[in-house]
Amino acid sequence: MNLPDYFIADLPAEAVITPRMIAESCDSLRRNREQFLTHRSTDWMIGVLCHAAEQWLEPGFPLRKLALNHGPAATGFSSETLARGLDTFFRQFTQENFEALLRQDLGHLRCLDKPSAPNRDEQHARLSLARGPELILHFTAGNLPIPALMSMTLGLLTRSSQWVKCASGGAFIPRIYAHLIYHVEPKLGACLELGTWPHERQDLNEPLLTTADFITATGSDEAIADIRARVSPKARFLGYGHRVSFGFVSAAVLAHGHARRVATRVAADVSAWDQLGCLSPHAVYVEEGGAASPEQFAELVAEELAAREQIQPRGTLPLPESAAIASRRSFYEIRSAHTPGTRLWCSPGSTAWTVVYESNPHFQHSCLNRFLYIKSARNLEEVLQGADDIRRSVSTVGLAAPEEQAERLATELARWGAARVCPIGKMQEPPLHWRHDGRPALADLITWTDWEF
Amino acid sequence: MVRAVAENQPGRNQNRMCSDNSIGAFIARLKGVMAVHPVAGIDSDSHFNTLAMELFSLQSEHNPIYRLLCERSGKTTRTVSHWSEIPTVPTSAFKEWDITSIPTGERSRWFCSSGTTDQRPSRHLHSTASLSIYEHSLWPPFQQHLLPEGCAFGQGLSWISLTPPSHLAPHSSLIHMFSTIRARVEPASFHWCSRVGPSGDWELHPQEVLSALNEACAKQTPVVLLGTAFLFLNLLDAMDAPVTRLHLPPGSRILETGGYKGRTRSVPKAELHSLLCSRLGLPQSNIITEYGMAELSSQAYDRICGHKAGTPLHFPPWARARIISPETGVEAMDGKAGLLQIFDLANVHSVLAIQTEDLAVRRGDGFELIGRQPRAEARGCSLMAP
Repeated sequence: MNLPDYFIADLPAEAVITPRMIAESCDSLRRNREQFLTHRSTDWMIGVLCHAAEQWLEPGFPLRKLALNHGPAATGFSSETLARGLDTFFRQFTQENFEALLRQDLGHLRCLDKPSAPNRDEQHARLSLARGPELILHFTAGNLPIPALMSMTLGLLTRSSQWVKCASGGAFIPRIYAHLIYHVEPKLGACLELGTWPHERQDLNEPLLTTADFITATGSDEAIADIRARVSPKARFLGYGHRVSFGFVSAAVLAHGHARRVATRVAADVSAWDQLGCLSPHAVYVEEGGAASPEQFAELVAEELAAREQIQPRGTLPLPESAAIASRRSFYEIRSAHTPGTRLWCSPGSTAWTVVYESNPHFQHSCLNRFLYIKSARNLEEVLQGADDIRRSVSTVGLAAPEEQAERLATELARWGAARVCPIGKMQEPPLHWRHDGRPALADLITWTDWEF
Repeated sequence: MVRAVAENQPGRNQNRMCSDNSIGAFIARLKGVMAVHPVAGIDSDSHFNTLAMELFSLQSEHNPIYRLLCERSGKTTRTVSHWSEIPTVPTSAFKEWDITSIPTGERSRWFCSSGTTDQRPSRHLHSTASLSIYEHSLWPPFQQHLLPEGCAFGQGLSWISLTPPSHLAPHSSLIHMFSTIRARVEPASFHWCSRVGPSGDWELHPQEVLSALNEACAKQTPVVLLGTAFLFLNLLDAMDAPVTRLHLPPGSRILETGGYKGRTRSVPKAELHSLLCSRLGLPQSNIITEYGMAELSSQAYDRICGHKAGTPLHFPPWARARIISPETGVEAMDGKAGLLQIFDLANVHSVLAIQTEDLAVRRGDGFELIGRQPRAEARGCSLMAP
């Protein structure tokens, strides 16, 4: 593959990485930050990020072509899924969106540049300067690349130098992003480092954990707990653990032949990143009593997933993942033969997509990779009872409801504990200023200096 | 309509089960086959196929759950002509349904999967008749692989099982197998070295094992050590402090069987065997791996005791393994990995065609296990509604 050896992650697999190399890279990052990054303005940084996104979105841009050509082998996603997911992400990179994020999280556009008065503080004779960490260490997850890209973007906004320790098999797209940054602004690229190594090489994590003043980690709850335990008391830690998401389709929205349109959007949510993200739905609940029954709706979703497969095929799966789908399918084949409240639709001759309809409203974890449960429920209250086991780990609820119902349903979901409610079809497309797991992701990186006068 | 037959006419099915002796006739023939072909292959695929198709026909007739599956999938005796096309039942189905043709009143025993974190274990129901086949089926391959010198040779050995005794774990098919072997061999000494803890876990008493091993060493009586990989690991842990090394009498042997299902700790098989060799002082050629499960009635083995060259796992002639691509359902080529299916003619009263959750590589007419597909149940997400 034609990427220059600029980052440690670019080195060939046989290259020997030592703790000393890692420690030296941390020193370089801090020096480069001081020299190239600390005094840059927010406007300049937003300009660089927007320019990087424009470059990415150019069809002939070499890094894009490289990512989409080599991505399927490196990541397991089809080229179409990668293009759709990454384009959606980079289209968010606009001046307006970055400003909205800064205003929302920090209260003022300039507070990273100079003492400013967020939240009308001028009335209180105080100005505040926001500072990012000197060196952020990110431990990223391997399932999909967007959280890593988002973490890197927030780190750039705060003018931090960053070390991205990628999960095994999860370095490809973060590397592409780092090279994209390097391409548009080499000095900014000099404030980034990336690498990947097996879990056993804890000796390589040590210099990072002792040097970084801020550590973020995305992954399983066990992985987060493991890293948290090794963070020095002087450093701050931000962990994003395992989250699950589901959808709710109200009966009223299925009137006037709209069921097909909603089913298309469900298929888009399931196909985005092959359903592997925390924001992807495991199940979609359909309220009974609509123009289409939940079972009929499930059949429509199956048709839409089949159609989606033609334009955005699912990636090739490793054996254990396809075996998990095959095993579940054979279980539901028997259950559907014996239980009127269960039906199964599958892609023929492959595991590309699966829809299981169940009248039982108990929430069911999917084995993912485009394996969706459609469940029927009398109303939202029954949904929330059925999903009570996962209440504390719910990220997103995709909602399809008429305008007059939406606010009531969203309020009910929020009070129940959902961190995000969004339209069905947009579950894997959170806006740049979304609050990650209900927290202001940019603000959480910041330390404030208050100047009282 | 199909459902109405299953639910509303159980009496009819049961009467047929009771009055029809064709299952009995099949059992008699199968036991004959086991006697004639205890270890070498049934002479041809067509012979196996004839038996499998006959059993498939009986099971789709007498097993209501299975019959519905066959009808719904369009794979019935009218459309299936080769054993490899017989519809398989996933092991997970044994958790939700009683997959059996045994009438309710004759279900005297069941075996369930052990050591997992499942909310509901598999239940493989047995009757006196089905247990009799189980016991018939387990002996020839066990003798061939563990006691190639013959049954009488086993009587002079010291037998140590790392598991609890049968009365403490009546639903373990593995322990029933060990009990059956014990009854067959009638050895001079047989030790059970685990108890069952409050949570149902098997708790090894390593001192009992070490004391029995030391006694055998003193008397120079060869030992047969039976246990699961996890229990062997427990034993090795106990031999760490203080570090204990034994040199078991020549002729000693180990039967190690499956896995670490749901356990917090595991070591690769080669490493476990190497540790056993060095700590117990016996050659690699005397460690035999067995593969079986509660939902089966036959077991596979990888080596004949004393043979230096290990072989892939093989079932006895009345059971066959098939490795399929989970993606396409097509049989894997030699050397390729896939999902393991087992066609076990000794599963007379349940279903002969089982879809396991194990991943394996096809090696000629045998197979090599490479693990268990990890998703869902391992994460504690049972498919069962509460």
